[in-house]
Amino acid sequence: MAKLIINNLNKVFSVKFGKNVHAVKDFNLNLEDGEILALLGSSGCGKTTTLRIVAGFESPTSGEIRFDDRDMIALPPSKRNVAMAFEGYALYPPLTVKDNISFGLMREKLSKSEIEKKVKEITELLEITDILHRYPSTVSGGQAQRVSLARALVRTSDILLLDEPMSQLEPQLRAVLRARVKDYIQHNNKTSVFVTHDQTEAIALADKIAVMEGGELQQLASPYDIRVKPQNVFVASFIGEPPMNMLNAVYQDEGDKINFLIKNENNENAFTLSYNKTSIDQSKIINLQNNQNLVIGIRPQKINFDSTDVNHNANISLTSNHWLGDQIHLGFELNGINIIGVADRNFSVSNSMKINFASSSINAFDSSSQKVIFNGF
Amino acid sequence: MISSSNTLTKIFKFLAYFFIIMFFLFPILWIFMMSFMTNDEILRKVPTIIFSPTFENYIALLKGKINTPAGVMDVFYMQNILNSFILSSCSVLLTLILGIPAAYAFARYKFKGGEDIAFTILSFKFAPALLIIIPLNLYFTKLGLYDSYFALVWVYQLITLPLLLWIVRGYFEDVSEDIEHAYRLDGHSWFKSFWKISIPLARPGIAASSLICFIFAWNNFVFALILGSSSIQPVTVGALSFITASAIPYGLIAAGIVLSVIPTLTLALIIQKYLVEGLSLGAVKG
Amino acid sequence: MSYLEIKNINKRFKDDIVFDDVSLSVNKGEFFVVFGPSGSGKTVLLRLLSGIMSQDSGQIFMDGVCIDDLDPNERDISMAFQNFALYPHMDAFENIASPLIAQKTSPDEIKKRVQEVAELLKIDHVLSHKPKELSNGQKQRTSLARSLVVRPSVVLLDDPLRNVDAKIRYEMRLELPKVLKEFNTTVIYVTQDYKEAMALGERVGVLANSNFTDVDHPTHVYKKPNNITSAKLFGDPTINVLNASNISSGDLSTITASKITIESNNPNLKNQRDLFLGIRPEDIQISNQAHEGAIKVELRAKTPLNLRTVYLLRFEDGVEVLASASEEESLLIDDQKDFYIRFDNSNLNFFDQSESLIQ
Repeated sequence: MAKLIINNLNKVFSVKFGKNVHAVKDFNLNLEDGEILALLGSSGCGKTTTLRIVAGFESPTSGEIRFDDRDMIALPPSKRNVAMAFEGYALYPPLTVKDNISFGLMREKLSKSEIEKKVKEITELLEITDILHRYPSTVSGGQAQRVSLARALVRTSDILLLDEPMSQLEPQLRAVLRARVKDYIQHNNKTSVFVTHDQTEAIALADKIAVMEGGELQQLASPYDIRVKPQNVFVASFIGEPPMNMLNAVYQDEGDKINFLIKNENNENAFTLSYNKTSIDQSKIINLQNNQNLVIGIRPQKINFDSTDVNHNANISLTSNHWLGDQIHLGFELNGINIIGVADRNFSVSNSMKINFASSSINAFDSSSQKVIFNGF
Repeated sequence: MISSSNTLTKIFKFLAYFFIIMFFLFPILWIFMMSFMTNDEILRKVPTIIFSPTFENYIALLKGKINTPAGVMDVFYMQNILNSFILSSCSVLLTLILGIPAAYAFARYKFKGGEDIAFTILSFKFAPALLIIIPLNLYFTKLGLYDSYFALVWVYQLITLPLLLWIVRGYFEDVSEDIEHAYRLDGHSWFKSFWKISIPLARPGIAASSLICFIFAWNNFVFALILGSSSIQPVTVGALSFITASAIPYGLIAAGIVLSVIPTLTLALIIQKYLVEGLSLGAVKG
Repeated sequence: MSYLEIKNINKRFKDDIVFDDVSLSVNKGEFFVVFGPSGSGKTVLLRLLSGIMSQDSGQIFMDGVCIDDLDPNERDISMAFQNFALYPHMDAFENIASPLIAQKTSPDEIKKRVQEVAELLKIDHVLSHKPKELSNGQKQRTSLARSLVVRPSVVLLDDPLRNVDAKIRYEMRLELPKVLKEFNTTVIYVTQDYKEAMALGERVGVLANSNFTDVDHPTHVYKKPNNITSAKLFGDPTINVLNASNISSGDLSTITASKITIESNNPNLKNQRDLFLGIRPEDIQISNQAHEGAIKVELRAKTPLNLRTVYLLRFEDGVEVLASASEEESLLIDDQKDFYIRFDNSNLNFFDQSESLIQ
């Protein structure tokens, strides 16, 4: 239960006959006591390296790491008081599941009954009470992962570090275990950092998400802000299932209204989105230049299917219709551009549906810098 | 683990490496130097590093005649080197032909008693050669195989086969079975899959174990000593003949050693590029 | 007779029974999805079909002919492996060309066919790369190209989208059916993701407990799963399964689970005293108000799930349920106030003691 402060963290791996790999570039973070942070990104983005540096298994090339005001750089992992669940589980083969979980607790000088109580609580939560007396080599991947998770969660530590903690979990257990683990961590006020490439998991568990790519922090924000206010094209297209629709466009100021000329892959005009200046927040478009190249992002869930007015001039054809139980995924072609939309499960799909893109659903990014200009207007 | 950019630690590390390397390399360096010295220089009370090199040891070996205080002697050292080469190459070749399919079988097919058989083969290496040398000698003689290349190559299998089997087996086990299955599903026969997929992918292991087997066969002393006479003697035995009652020509022996290392060293340098690991990285996920 | 027919297949590994008297019929040109959790035998099924493995008993027919005695290289079946299984020492072109070489196709024809399929799968620009130089998405497409280039009668796809990034996975989920239609082949597609099954399959076979528990259109499996296992596998968040007791009088049954009461006229419920009630999280209505019939619950945790919100709730008797609400609905719920829930009866399912669906 401590604050985690990271300042200007850099890690460069020198490769003998190749170029150096700058795995972590100038990473900054301020995590409050009890907060849960997700390091989110695809493989090779630097998230695991960052986690390992916090744990003490890698030393940074430069930068500082503090738990509250204690400097951690000079300390080996055993002295940092961190609990970690590894991606490869790293269970102790000669110990039973129960002993694996209790092992860390024995250092904490707890009484036998207290240890029993804690182990019982966490194993019931993660539904592994039936394998307590088994050995690691005899349990399934999903079970081993839960044991590894239990071992880390049950300890009292300043910081809890989890490396892809739920990637191998059986899909039908994921939703309920995520909720229970989140509840447990919040209840015990543990400052936690976990690494994942699954944005669904990041959004479900974290108080703050740090999206990383190429060693650089792309955006650090709450799940809500990451979703609703992505700061660049990468974050916008990484987050969300189905992924955000990204369209190339050119901005046009036409006096009393503004247009986004949507381009197809041959850079020809496919269709135009128009908005009256009176119905939008003009402060958002102040910095736009006429004929500026933009990337427009629209979330599938934010497309209107029941509006009577239509703010585009495209011909719509329905290309796919997937009913998925609690929602419907619809695929459209608008003058050759493929768009995905999500509708409520009871929505009645018809070929003559009207689509409308509300101004609040439009995210605009500058084409060359890839940075955000506005999230809705 | 704190990475030290500390200069003192760096110096300490360098010195440690230097001394360790010197400890292992020094005898080899010394022998190399000795091969260019005369016996008198070698036997001087105070060993020197500065001397004037001579090729007389090498010339003597290559010509087959050495000058000793007792007169001119004939040596057949070059023939010994040739014998070593023939014996080691043939042994490795035979081991490859027998061992690679066997390694594949042990890796891929789990059959009853398989592990026992594999371990039994490995156990051949545990027994010292002296244990079996007398019985071997007796029945090889009975079979009329005494003093033949064939007999030694056969016996050398006791050394080389277990080695290759266990090393290459590991490499076959590391090749994902799915790659072989995919090749079969493409329409190729089992043998084609073995030849074009399994063997190439296990190449680092095959190369490494061939080299090791060659070296072990080359270095063998006991079998060659007992089971063969001078016509098929390898260098290990041949070097003995230098040691006479009158003198031990250290310089000559040193030159002999240097000459005997050359074939193996050359082979190692050739094979080196096949030892590159990681050939199969990226073809199969996870 | 259907095109691909599996009859009474049994397969076990020591004490582990993988298939217990399994039969299946797949029609020509059908896109059939085999869905099941890990360890359920999906990959074993594909290995039996491709000939890499043999069944203990039972037969496999293709177009009316029994193919059990045919080696893998003799069957007109291709497979794309989950871990790609590309030949690391050959470049992408040679990988894709391999089946054509086995058929002794002329080099010119090989070049043409490989180019054709590579263009279709958008990997024509990386044909000279070795596998280790390809991204996971490209490797997967190369593996797919290799399995399609000979235009086989049956193509087996072993969870091809599993090892691919989430973003590319979604794109390929839309693209794959279109690509496969070009080849007019019968497809057996294996997956662990029920959403993939729902999006792709005309019919899905749910593999669990050594057999197919459901073989039907995915929508039907979602709405009326044949047993609790299928019900739990299809749906995220998972369906809630509650212990319930039933009192019947005449045709009217009153079922109670953790204080929630449901009435039903279904005559099949009459003789069931103890049963299971299955309700999906999206069918649980949450409110801060104590409406008629609503039961008070405690909020344990709230986790967002792709614009929906999942609530972990606990009844007074300790039973937990997951309820999900859309973004709009969750904005109207105040976490600090009391929680009340009601069940939407229209999508409820009941299961008997043996965990089978009560129709």
